[in-house]
Amino acid sequence: MHMEQDIKLKLSINIALVSGIFCITVALLLLLNFIQMAKNKPLESKAITSLVKRLSQEPNSDELKQEIRNFDLLARKAYFNTQWQVKTGGYLLLFGAIVLAFSLRVVFDLRSRIEEPVEVSDKELLNRMLTQRWVLITGSLLIVLGLVASLASVDHLQKYNVDESIASVKSTENQEKIEVIQVGQTPLILDSSKNTIDSLKPRPAITTEVKPLPAAVAKIGYPSSSQLKSNVPSFRGPFGNGVFYTKGTPVEWDAASGKNVIWKTPVPKKGFNSPVIWGNKIFLSGADGKLAEVYCFDQNSGKVIWKQPVDKIPGSPALPPKVTDDTGYAAPSLTTDGNRVFALFATGDIICFDLDGNRIWARNLGIPDNHYGHASSLIMWKDKIFIQYDTNKSRKLLALKAATGELAWETIRKGKISWASPILAEINGQYQVVLSTEPMVAGYDTDSGKELWSVDCMMGEVGPSPGFGSGLIFAANEYARLVAIDPVKKAKVWESGEYMPEVASPVCANGLLFIATSYGVLACYDAKTGEKYWVKEDGTGFYSSPVVCENKLYTYNTSGKMKVFEAAKTEKILGEGDAGEKITTTPVFKDGRMYLRTPKFIYCIGKK
Amino acid sequence: MNKWIKISLLFTLLFYSLAGMTQKQRFPKPEFGTGYHQPTPITPEPRALALEYTDVFVLLVVLSLASWLAVRKRSRKWMVWLSLFTLLYFGFYRDGCICSIGSIQNVALTIFDPGYAISVSTLLFFLLPLLFTLYFGRTFCAGACSLGAIQDLIIIKPLSLPEWLRKTLGLIPYLYLTIAVLFAATGTDFIICRYDPFVGIFRMDAAFHMIVLGIAFLLMGMFVARPYCRFLCPYGVLLSWMSKFSKWHLTISPAACIQCKLCSDSCPFDAIDLPTDEKQVKHRIWGVNRFLVYLLLIPIWVLSLGFAGSKAHTWISKANPKVYLAELLISKPEVHNDEKNLDVQAFLSSGKSMEILVNEATIIRHKFYIGCWLAGGFMGFVIGMSLLNQVIFRTKSDYEPDKSNCYSCARCISYCPVKK
Repeated sequence: MHMEQDIKLKLSINIALVSGIFCITVALLLLLNFIQMAKNKPLESKAITSLVKRLSQEPNSDELKQEIRNFDLLARKAYFNTQWQVKTGGYLLLFGAIVLAFSLRVVFDLRSRIEEPVEVSDKELLNRMLTQRWVLITGSLLIVLGLVASLASVDHLQKYNVDESIASVKSTENQEKIEVIQVGQTPLILDSSKNTIDSLKPRPAITTEVKPLPAAVAKIGYPSSSQLKSNVPSFRGPFGNGVFYTKGTPVEWDAASGKNVIWKTPVPKKGFNSPVIWGNKIFLSGADGKLAEVYCFDQNSGKVIWKQPVDKIPGSPALPPKVTDDTGYAAPSLTTDGNRVFALFATGDIICFDLDGNRIWARNLGIPDNHYGHASSLIMWKDKIFIQYDTNKSRKLLALKAATGELAWETIRKGKISWASPILAEINGQYQVVLSTEPMVAGYDTDSGKELWSVDCMMGEVGPSPGFGSGLIFAANEYARLVAIDPVKKAKVWESGEYMPEVASPVCANGLLFIATSYGVLACYDAKTGEKYWVKEDGTGFYSSPVVCENKLYTYNTSGKMKVFEAAKTEKILGEGDAGEKITTTPVFKDGRMYLRTPKFIYCIGKK
Repeated sequence: MNKWIKISLLFTLLFYSLAGMTQKQRFPKPEFGTGYHQPTPITPEPRALALEYTDVFVLLVVLSLASWLAVRKRSRKWMVWLSLFTLLYFGFYRDGCICSIGSIQNVALTIFDPGYAISVSTLLFFLLPLLFTLYFGRTFCAGACSLGAIQDLIIIKPLSLPEWLRKTLGLIPYLYLTIAVLFAATGTDFIICRYDPFVGIFRMDAAFHMIVLGIAFLLMGMFVARPYCRFLCPYGVLLSWMSKFSKWHLTISPAACIQCKLCSDSCPFDAIDLPTDEKQVKHRIWGVNRFLVYLLLIPIWVLSLGFAGSKAHTWISKANPKVYLAELLISKPEVHNDEKNLDVQAFLSSGKSMEILVNEATIIRHKFYIGCWLAGGFMGFVIGMSLLNQVIFRTKSDYEPDKSNCYSCARCISYCPVKK
């Protein structure tokens, strides 16, 4: 029996010895493998690096490309071979370690001897005393650790709120007054002189109430209608109606001679969006399918104040969707509320910057399935941005929260895809978003997205945006009708089938409605009755929407010729201009000057 | 013999160090444009439902066998084979996941986060061992836990630890359980899984520091039996509560104890209660006084540690990735331009505004405030009760397993000369 035990012991020792040597050998091999891998990283091969460098000098060399591929394949083979070695070695080592552990256990067991039973301890009391002492120490230590942790940590989150509140106080000081618009109610005027830090103290950082936004954001006021009218917050001016409120705008200019050209600045990337302006900052966007950008120009000098890329947006497609050349990737005009500026692109990317170019948020709305490319511009009211997000698959009106980009509401619309832009119309004391598409023109509640009224009157691929004036909504489209709608009665007031635009939107001012067609006809109607006052055949078509400023009707035909008419019942040309380039964008006006985007430049035109 | 110990230690160190090193030998992650989600290396891919239930079935069988082997068959040898099977199946084959220990976090999250629903199999993994323990003692630890199995199989020369040390270190599992529940409930992290020292060995894949931790536990485990089970395992806290009231717990002797003392040194976990020393009974008066004092101190402990916990909530909540990121962006605005900081860049490209992030972080921090009050209060209760237990004398006449701490491994059974 003893003999057997001795044999077992010897056998176990020998197995332990062999498995030990085996483990050491495998471990050393793995170590060598690791050192080799650490020294020669396949992806950082000098040969590949130098070949890639050469390729940049000879980009068309197929031989070089093949050589790089071969080296890369070799490097990858080497890498995966090493991986296999490491994995196999790991399992061998595990096997060896198990055998070693098992044999060691046997060795220990065989060598163990029966030990004397322990005496029952007579120190139980002492043990208990010691235990109490250590439990007390542990408890006290936990209390001290908690208090030390409290002293050692700074609540930056609370600090952030305080800082932001102070910043918001400062920003209010820079503005004369911020008017919080409540349509249908007496506007509430916040007097900046009465604002104190105390009055704007943030709510406590720790609160049981789940609130969507911290105090700092909630305190951003909405621009008043007078502020909107003195700026250019969206496509075709305030509320998107094509009417501007500045005075002293020029009626003549010439790009070639520089007549009345205050400045002109190249726009880096292509785009068919028109300028939006707030304060002394002009915003445009551009994109070429590889990169989209947002630009901010100085209104006085034309210098680029900032230029920001539109990138790193989750869900943004790696390959941009197909668009036509005359739509491009940056057709939608931007919108601004004086605090932030928002830009949308044909990729479905929407981005928000503050006016200093700091990125606030960005998201992708889903790649639009649009056979021309998304072209509908943005517009905003109060705290929401409205997007007519029509695709071939679905028709939607989206409202995003301006502060966060989150969806405020979404309304699925009937009808077909439309390229028109939304406008804002004040109806019965409430602002509505008005859209034009086949088969209907409809108004939507800005708070809920609910369809308030709808009149079936449109057809085809609708490009022109609706117009609003004299309490009526005007919509038109080529091969459809020109229609005046009473949104209160939800009915057509009058309609005409004579002159209809394809792209340019109707504009209503001074009780008159102006239409510019793609076949070169400019027509003036009585807004309320539809009576035709005058027609001017230009010969060249209009894509740029006619706009009215200071009783003057500004038109640009596609060859870049500007004609300014008196916004009156009789035709009277006040002046002419020439951009010298194809014009499809719409001019905007601010502080007595006209701003126009051409395919390559942005112009500032004013009286010199 | 020392030579062999040294050699084995050297091998173990070499083996796991190399396993850790291999993790760095990787190509960079592929950069996909969109739509591709990089699989997490921490959580294994979900298993087919049928296989999930297979795991539950295996657990049920193993628990039943372990209970039968401990209580009825009283066989240490078969228990070793069973734990070896558990190690291979739940450890190496199932990569240490799913595991009853980690399921605590799923249960905590499902209670506190209405948006999270625990799977039936995970819930069963949490409940079944507790249920078995309530009837048969901690047979789960003996034969159905892969973490216990790997530690049990490498016990070579266990040392007996002094009682005060065991009791003091025994507070750590309570603290770990508290923090794990707090972190899971606030959606911060599953720390039990993240810091599982053995999962890297099961998967042959882990971060370097976890490999070191695993080695440390295994090395320690050769001399201090089952260090993770005794001084860290948060599930062990729940099991010990259940086991205390177990109906048919393993006994050392199948019949009346003959006080031969042979088993007194048999338990590597110091989980055998010795007969009461009559000399100590004289000090019961002393115990009664202290009992009253400690009893009155319990609410003070609860409030004190609750308060200390609440004060520490700002610091603790920094463990939450959202809170950490928000604070980092506020305290160090220059990180906005740090292209190497992937968290910051991921946030900047997410389209989410700073205001939203701060708001979310503030809400999480508030959860931590409440959680830390509760966690501190719980720890205060544990401290208070631990002190109280030290002045309670229970008369025992035989050598008995300490039901709370006995792992039902059946080692002691073979030492008992009484055979029915």
